[in-house]
Amino acid sequence: MSSTSNAPTGSNRVRIVVATSVMLTFISYWRAAAVILNDLGSSAFYAGGIAEQAIGKSAPWFVLGVMLFAFAVRAVYVESCSMFVRGGVYRVVKEALGGTLAKLSVSALMFDYILTGPVSGVSAGQYIAGLINDTISIADSHGLVPSAIHHLFHGTPQVGENSTAVVFAVAVTLYFWWQNVKGIEESSEKALWVMQITTVMVVMLLGWSLFTLLKVGGHLPPFPTLANIHYSDTSLGFWKHSRLPHMFGILGLIIGFGHSVLAMSGEESLAQVYRELAHPKLKNLKRTAIVIGVYSFVFTGLVSLLAVMLIPDDVRVKVYSDNLIAGLAMHMVGPQVLRLAFRAFVVVVGFLILSGAVNTAIVGSNGVLNRVSEDGVLADWFRRPHKRYGTTYRIINLIVGLQLFTIIVSWGNIYTLGEAYAFGVVWSFVFKTVSMLVLRYRYKGERNWKVPPNFHLFGIEIPVGLASVGLVLLSTAIVNLFTKSVATVSGIIFSVIFFAIFTFSEKVNRRKHAHTAAQMKEQFQLQLAESVQRETVGIRPGNVLVPVRDYNTLNHLKWVLERTDTREQDVVVMTARISQFGAAAYGLSTEQVFSDYEQTLFTRAVSVAESFGKRISLLVVPARDSWSAIAQTAHNLESSAVVTGLSSKMTSAEQAFAVGSAWEAIPEPKRQFVLQIVQPNGVVDTFRVGPHTPTMKNEDVVLLHRLWLNVTREPGLENIHHHDILTEALTRFANDYGARDRDEIVKELRRHNVAGGPLPARTIASQIPTVQPSPARSGRHDATSVPEDDGSE
Amino acid sequence: MSLSVLLVKILEGMFVAGWVGSAVVLVLTGIEDIGTLLDRKDENSR
Repeated sequence: MSSTSNAPTGSNRVRIVVATSVMLTFISYWRAAAVILNDLGSSAFYAGGIAEQAIGKSAPWFVLGVMLFAFAVRAVYVESCSMFVRGGVYRVVKEALGGTLAKLSVSALMFDYILTGPVSGVSAGQYIAGLINDTISIADSHGLVPSAIHHLFHGTPQVGENSTAVVFAVAVTLYFWWQNVKGIEESSEKALWVMQITTVMVVMLLGWSLFTLLKVGGHLPPFPTLANIHYSDTSLGFWKHSRLPHMFGILGLIIGFGHSVLAMSGEESLAQVYRELAHPKLKNLKRTAIVIGVYSFVFTGLVSLLAVMLIPDDVRVKVYSDNLIAGLAMHMVGPQVLRLAFRAFVVVVGFLILSGAVNTAIVGSNGVLNRVSEDGVLADWFRRPHKRYGTTYRIINLIVGLQLFTIIVSWGNIYTLGEAYAFGVVWSFVFKTVSMLVLRYRYKGERNWKVPPNFHLFGIEIPVGLASVGLVLLSTAIVNLFTKSVATVSGIIFSVIFFAIFTFSEKVNRRKHAHTAAQMKEQFQLQLAESVQRETVGIRPGNVLVPVRDYNTLNHLKWVLERTDTREQDVVVMTARISQFGAAAYGLSTEQVFSDYEQTLFTRAVSVAESFGKRISLLVVPARDSWSAIAQTAHNLESSAVVTGLSSKMTSAEQAFAVGSAWEAIPEPKRQFVLQIVQPNGVVDTFRVGPHTPTMKNEDVVLLHRLWLNVTREPGLENIHHHDILTEALTRFANDYGARDRDEIVKELRRHNVAGGPLPARTIASQIPTVQPSPARSGRHDATSVPEDDGSE
Repeated sequence: MSLSVLLVKILEGMFVAGWVGSAVVLVLTGIEDIGTLLDRKDENSR
């Protein structure tokens, strides 16, 4: 047992049980698909426009090609997840190619993640600015803009689209920066809701577009031949003055493909949500992959195609290249006001999904940098938790700082941002696929699925499918190096800087960690356990669980130790190591779960326990949210009480509600426990978590008793108990609530809840005549004492 | 043949061969996907 007093024989070290599995609430494949589509689907808003600016009117074929190829890329992710539960780029590359290339791949991935925010924020801003401008133009054409304003602006007032996009992107980024510093909890519920609204928009968009095509007709975009690919001034990069792109047809296809590849950004999210997928995991991962594949093919692919078919050439690139779906909405058949209303709906949906992608970018980058920093690849300084919120605010500040810098430098130019973004997307895929190829020969562990087809030659496996995907990605990535000069230069500078930071930090950390590890070895003994079980921690049922987070606020631990005889009742001090949604995809090593922060925290906790001369058990639990961690740990350890401090962000009632909600999510059978929240002033609020006998008011008892007295006078009901009355009353209530008088009951309860007053038990009681118990009933064990007469007789 | 043309030819070869192989991946995984979609066992769509 881990304690201050019963350390292992022959050692003064304190044992700490470190659970290595994150306590997760598993999600269905629909929810997982919604989480991924919040990132992947957002590219539909800008990918088509960016591709057409680069290669001309045949761009939709390339976007469709990319969305088709994305199915094959997805297969690579399914294989990696079948090998590693946390099968993200870093883990896979590190496993296959070692630490150096893993650092390089993470640098590329960071470039992708960091650019996701600016590209999404700016795109949302472009949609908003476009809507404002078009609304003003339409109002002006109907004479609704006063001439004074007309004169003031020397024409129709218009907002600067790029500057508006910059302001909006900065505002959204700052908003999510603050939310992440505070530590918002990611919710698959929210993602599902956004995707439901997006689906409504997609269905309307496709239906209305097809109807428009039937009414007014349309032409397919020109097929992607060398003659039909029209390179822009910037789409050839270093090959601008070369004849090569104009000489080879297939090279033209690769260039076009490279300019459209950002349409499949967000695939990495598949590896991140895998950890959280419900059983059967692999099958659900495949289902998720199918859902996101079909959805993004239809949304991103078909929308790009329809835009070229329906929006006239003279305005499509000139006016709507940065807000293509809005242009599509404005070129449907139907009244102008209806089209404008639909465009507003498109902008609202765009705002929701693109803003979500800004947040995803911060959360994802934070997850990746936490992962590498916990591996010793980033200085510990970055990982120091926020004093109040406990988040890794320095990493968040770094990410958001880089994003704001990118937004301002690009000045709302979505094309430049998109082109740069593709660098990170395609190179992280290349690293991933090449690593998977290497692992086909090096990895000897479990692998439940392989990208088909695979052949055997002289006993050696030839992974034809995997190699094919790798060839397409590698050739595209190499060509992109030549054709996307801005992306190549900025991507290489960014990756080199990050790589240098990682390498330098690793060297510094190696020395520091060696010292820390030696210190820890002297003080603590870590025992790894896959899951939290009472037997593993070595404690008795009915123990007290004390969650701790901040080593400066351990008053509740002192409160528990003052009142508990640890010879009779065990005290377990637990800290939850929180990982954001999806961050569980990145492997959890011991150093991750038990870092120097946890070491300091437990050193303080042990010191408190020593000051009381009492023993405590120590436990670290990785979790996605602290409330689930508390509820699940209390359940697993068969704790009778959980004692926690007051949160800086919540009231004790809110804390109790959060723990209660987490408890509700635990599958049956489950145990109840008492939750005590110790406030800084010493006041303790006590709550029971789980179903329990409610505290009854005196007037309720009176009412119950009077009813019982009356009922027992009925022939044949002499032996009725008080609880029978309650059972009957609750059954009737359930029937009424479930079928007949739900609204009336809700209204009544709400009225009393708002009024803050009690339900009128006393009034009802006074209407029921008191009946004196008959002598035959007087000896009954459940007969309450006759209540004090309230004068109603 | 200049070095740059040779590089382009290699890249084109990689791209075409990759797409042919990827098309096979798409067909094979597509068939498997249909089976996965039709298999309603263990499905929890909440």
